[in-house]
Amino acid sequence: MDEHELIARVRAGEPAAERALYDAHVDRVYRLAYRLAGDDELARDFTQETFIRAFQRLDTFRGDARFSTWLHAIATTVSLNGLRKTKRFRSQTTLEAAEGVVSGARSAEPDLKVRLHAAIDALPDRYRTVVVMHDVEGYTHEEIAETLGVEVGTSKAQLSRARAKLRETLADFAGEWAS
Amino acid sequence: MNDDRFEERLREAARDYHRPPETPRDAMWDAIAAARRRRAESKVFVLRPAVRWGLAMAAVLLVGIAIGRLIRPGVKNGTVATDSTASPRSGSDVAYGVAAVQYLNSTETLLTGFRADARNGRVDTLFIDQARELLTSTRLLLQSPAGQDPHLKPLLEDLELVLAQIALLPGRRRDTLDVDLITQGMDQQSVLTRLRTAIPAGPASAPRTQGAL
Repeated sequence: MDEHELIARVRAGEPAAERALYDAHVDRVYRLAYRLAGDDELARDFTQETFIRAFQRLDTFRGDARFSTWLHAIATTVSLNGLRKTKRFRSQTTLEAAEGVVSGARSAEPDLKVRLHAAIDALPDRYRTVVVMHDVEGYTHEEIAETLGVEVGTSKAQLSRARAKLRETLADFAGEWAS
Repeated sequence: MNDDRFEERLREAARDYHRPPETPRDAMWDAIAAARRRRAESKVFVLRPAVRWGLAMAAVLLVGIAIGRLIRPGVKNGTVATDSTASPRSGSDVAYGVAAVQYLNSTETLLTGFRADARNGRVDTLFIDQARELLTSTRLLLQSPAGQDPHLKPLLEDLELVLAQIALLPGRRRDTLDVDLITQGMDQQSVLTRLRTAIPAGPASAPRTQGAL
């Protein structure tokens, strides 16, 4: 079924259409929420709140953008506001904890991942969101710009700055990475 | 280090960042359905915080007006007589003072959050909704005796402008230039500093009215 038709049926109050619309989008919304939150409980809360708001405000969706963009804009707003309140993502693996991981030729990969993930956690929200959306979840800069309500150039610039910060944080891996 | 190689390794390693488990579709759908049912049942009684605040503000103003009309000397049949010996803090002044302090606190919270979001290149829609509510309260206050206070009036007028600009931001796509202009205007007029100065110290739950205006 065409998505416009599906949305029209949701607006008309068809429960089956609501479920179909949910099923079509819930995976990406949950993935994004989980990537941002790093916590199943929070990701569930954010996903649920996203859909509750989306159904509540569906009348305001005019169809200028794709429905997924509109929905992901709600998801990022809900997730980032929720994270600001809980700050739980900050209690994930920290850089200090990562310092203790023994490095070596064979263990370089897991060590690198731990350090990288801690470094991403430590990024300012605006950079972390763009890294998660672009490098982790594969959104295009155009999609990110529409979702976050910024210019495409801003998204690109923030990703570039985020990568520069990660490179700086992970400078001691330079030798291993170059080999 | 080879830059391309760094980017490549970075992207590879980043794919495992907060790797999500399988989506708990049914469990979340059940929770969504239950929450929507609950909200629908209590829709009459549950209002968004900004709306609740707006209603409370309007109620306080109405009470203030009523008290003022009842106890203010020299008011007969709606005609106000000039009386230079009237008490400087009548009942209505106190009511307006309470309303003004609550209003200033809420506006300060909104503008602080708005500025922080603007710095991050985005503006939450909730700020826009709340700005609309506070804009109504600003206009009510400007029409009240609080709006005649020589220190408060210019601040209220500047806040009216800032809140109107925020309230008029497009709902879907915010132009960063518009947002920048608003924050620049706030900075040039030192709106936040003046706002914080106007808010009396003390617990927010029990706003002091003495010296508030």
